[in-house]
Amino acid sequence: MSDVPKTDNRSHRQGIGEATQVVASLWFSVGKETLSVISLQAAKSHRNERIAVNVLRGAAVFVIFAIAVLIVYLAFEGTKTFSVDKFPVWKFLFSSDYDPGNNLGGSAVFITGTLLVTGFAIVVGGPFGIAVGVFLSEVAPARMAQILKPAIELLVGIPSVVYGWLGLTLLVPFLRTHTSSPSGFGLAAAGIVLSIMILPTVISLSEDAFRSLPVSLREGSMALGSTRWQMITGVLLPSASSGLTVALILGIARAIGEALAVQMVIGNSSQFPRGIFAPTASLTTEIVIDMGGAPQGSFQEHVLFSMALLLLLIAMALILLVRFALRGRG
Amino acid sequence: MIDVSPGSVDIREKLNAIHLNVFYGSFQAIKDASLKMAAKTVTALIGPSGCGKSTFLRALNRMHDLTPGARVEGEVTLDGQDIYAPDADPVVIRHRIGMVFQRPNPFPKTIYENVAYGPKIHGERDKATLDATVERSLRQAALWDEVKDRLNRSALDLSGGQQQRMCIARVLAVEPEVILMDEPASALDPIATSKIEDLIGELKKEFSVVIVTHSMQQAARISEYTAFFHLGEIIEFGTTTNIFTRPREKKTEDYITGRFG
Amino acid sequence: MASAASSAPSRRLSSNSGVRLRRLIDALATGVLWIMAASIICLLATFIMYLFYLGFHSLSWQFLTSAPTQSAGGGIGPEIYNSFYILVLTLIFTVPISLGAGIYLQEYARPGLFRSVVQFSAESLATVPSIVMGLFGLLIFVFYFHWGFTALGGALTLTLLNLPALVRVTQEALASVPDSLREASIGLGATKWQTIMRTVLPSAIGRLTTGIVLIAGRIFGETAALIFTAGLSVSANHPYELNPFRSAETLAIHLWYTHSESVIPDVDRVGNGSALVLLIMVLAFNIAARLAGSALTKRFTGRSS
Repeated sequence: MSDVPKTDNRSHRQGIGEATQVVASLWFSVGKETLSVISLQAAKSHRNERIAVNVLRGAAVFVIFAIAVLIVYLAFEGTKTFSVDKFPVWKFLFSSDYDPGNNLGGSAVFITGTLLVTGFAIVVGGPFGIAVGVFLSEVAPARMAQILKPAIELLVGIPSVVYGWLGLTLLVPFLRTHTSSPSGFGLAAAGIVLSIMILPTVISLSEDAFRSLPVSLREGSMALGSTRWQMITGVLLPSASSGLTVALILGIARAIGEALAVQMVIGNSSQFPRGIFAPTASLTTEIVIDMGGAPQGSFQEHVLFSMALLLLLIAMALILLVRFALRGRG
Repeated sequence: MIDVSPGSVDIREKLNAIHLNVFYGSFQAIKDASLKMAAKTVTALIGPSGCGKSTFLRALNRMHDLTPGARVEGEVTLDGQDIYAPDADPVVIRHRIGMVFQRPNPFPKTIYENVAYGPKIHGERDKATLDATVERSLRQAALWDEVKDRLNRSALDLSGGQQQRMCIARVLAVEPEVILMDEPASALDPIATSKIEDLIGELKKEFSVVIVTHSMQQAARISEYTAFFHLGEIIEFGTTTNIFTRPREKKTEDYITGRFG
Repeated sequence: MASAASSAPSRRLSSNSGVRLRRLIDALATGVLWIMAASIICLLATFIMYLFYLGFHSLSWQFLTSAPTQSAGGGIGPEIYNSFYILVLTLIFTVPISLGAGIYLQEYARPGLFRSVVQFSAESLATVPSIVMGLFGLLIFVFYFHWGFTALGGALTLTLLNLPALVRVTQEALASVPDSLREASIGLGATKWQTIMRTVLPSAIGRLTTGIVLIAGRIFGETAALIFTAGLSVSANHPYELNPFRSAETLAIHLWYTHSESVIPDVDRVGNGSALVLLIMVLAFNIAARLAGSALTKRFTGRSS
């Protein structure tokens, strides 16, 4: 991994070279324009305006450029398993024979692992997050919100590796002594850590979803003689459903892509979990563990890039789902 | 202040506001307002915008409980019992005193679910009873014929006027005794407005209606009694005929003749 | 006029048994919501206290300033330096690009195909998992550029990772500036660009700074995108180098790496200490974001109005 490979792909290099140039020129020109405009003479202003717009537009174009290059590159690299090594796609997805040294790239174990830990996280963290979102929007007095909101922001800020460390030093020993799990590492540990990590996303998005509902819905329900809880369950929850769907989808997106916190507690065993406390592995953990030792251009490296591509495709699909859910919101 | 003693206007009251004050923080929106609202009649509250008529209306079913910073002093009695008494329950009060809002506020559910919502929250589970209640309420609201074939379609697909009549049906479904209406036709076109007015004419046979309106013609058309509000005070109260033809107060006269508003 | 019979005057306004049951359910549910919300605060408090409890004894001037060693007793000095080094480098790239894109989207772009494409691209970029972004960085900076593992490669990867968030922060900060300010400036004969530079940005600077500092905190603790781009080692001879073309293990990476791969005997001591330093930095960034934001808002709006 540490030896730098030769490249045979000129056009790719050029593209990236341009990207770097764009970055550099953007920065210099934004800086220059800022200075010149601040000390500006009226005569120059039209020319400056034109230059400014173009520089700004360039920055916006860069965003498109970045995601496009990323998709093209990973699609190219991630399909080599199938195009160069001729490993069948269905086996990659559905076979659990994983032995990259012998050209076996069945990744079903990791895909299952990803689905299971993500499912665990959303089943535990989803309802909890929505409940706290309701609390913030409908119940919490101002003083409580003033404590809770910074706490949630801090939870967002804690690095994933610190969550992993907490899982390692707090949760895993707990599971080891209080459950049937011999080591404490496994699906449950990863699921619990992820549930906590997705909470801030789900809480703040579901709070937004409830807050965006008009007061007239609340008044309409209360005026009929409902209690607050009847109003929440009978009117607000169904009315906020598309916003809550988005909250859950983005929670899923956060969970699916998480690597290190999961890797530190999941146990990293390349087999289907034999129970909720059993160790297993996921797409991200497998990439973290094996990428460092995979020789450049090897089958193993290609399979790992295929896993990365799969993660990217799932993330894109989730984004499209979000768009779809929001479109349904009238 | 006006004289609301039975001597001046003889009323067998359903709802009675006695020395009512409403505050938003330190701002006093209603000042010592007393008003008797008769059973099975329509009482109209009129006045220039910002005069407190909507604030007064919302004090009649304790909607101000939901507004942080709002405070109500004084009494409102329903059949002689104070709705602000310590043991009075807002849930029970709002069950007996329904409210229709300025803009139609259908829940994003089917028409059926909207109308059945009230009975359901009050504990009705029986499907046949619910079906019957939904039909009766929609008929009472003069909407049944228009929607009977699409009860399971979203209420949001209805026109504005239909939505408002559905909201009235939703209130009727919980069988209230009083219906408060806060400018129920202000967001509607003239045809929809006249349908709502006809409906109010029917409703007063069974219910006591208190309606806030900014339209004096509407008040004249549909109400038996009218109270004129100005700057948070009730300036004058009397039969609608008297208010519009022989106002006793200068301010009332100025308002109904269009000199301010 | 008044009709005779109204409904039974004996009906009471106090709760009957059905209403009492509903009130009980309402109170119970509200209680559960309170408990859930309180548990979030307890959770955070537990995390903070536990990390302090674990790491407090590891902290010393020597630990914070000395280099890691193969034997016991190593410190995290170069890792802290690298974390700040990569953070600064990342911000140098991220801030101008995202300010530019954010200003363009919010102030110039009209609704249309181009703006939706940019918005959609930013959303897509925002959901790319950080490990996937790390592999992309590996492909580009390590393989095709032949840089090997470098601080620059790591910083550029983090730039891509954090660009969408900062574009959004910029857009939201600009959106919070009332249109009346823009109209006033345009009305005085200023061009759009002058208006943005002299009126809009100063009014938005508080929110902008808060957002940037919060994102800086996230960059400081990032790991997955750096493992395969900035590398897992520090130079033994020149741990505090300014050269961006060198491997640069950050503090967050160090915490992960000591545990998962390293063979040093005092993993727990180093890990606990590193976790606590990371936590303290997160707290510091959060507090700094608030303070800087409100101070700047006060200063700039005080001056311009």
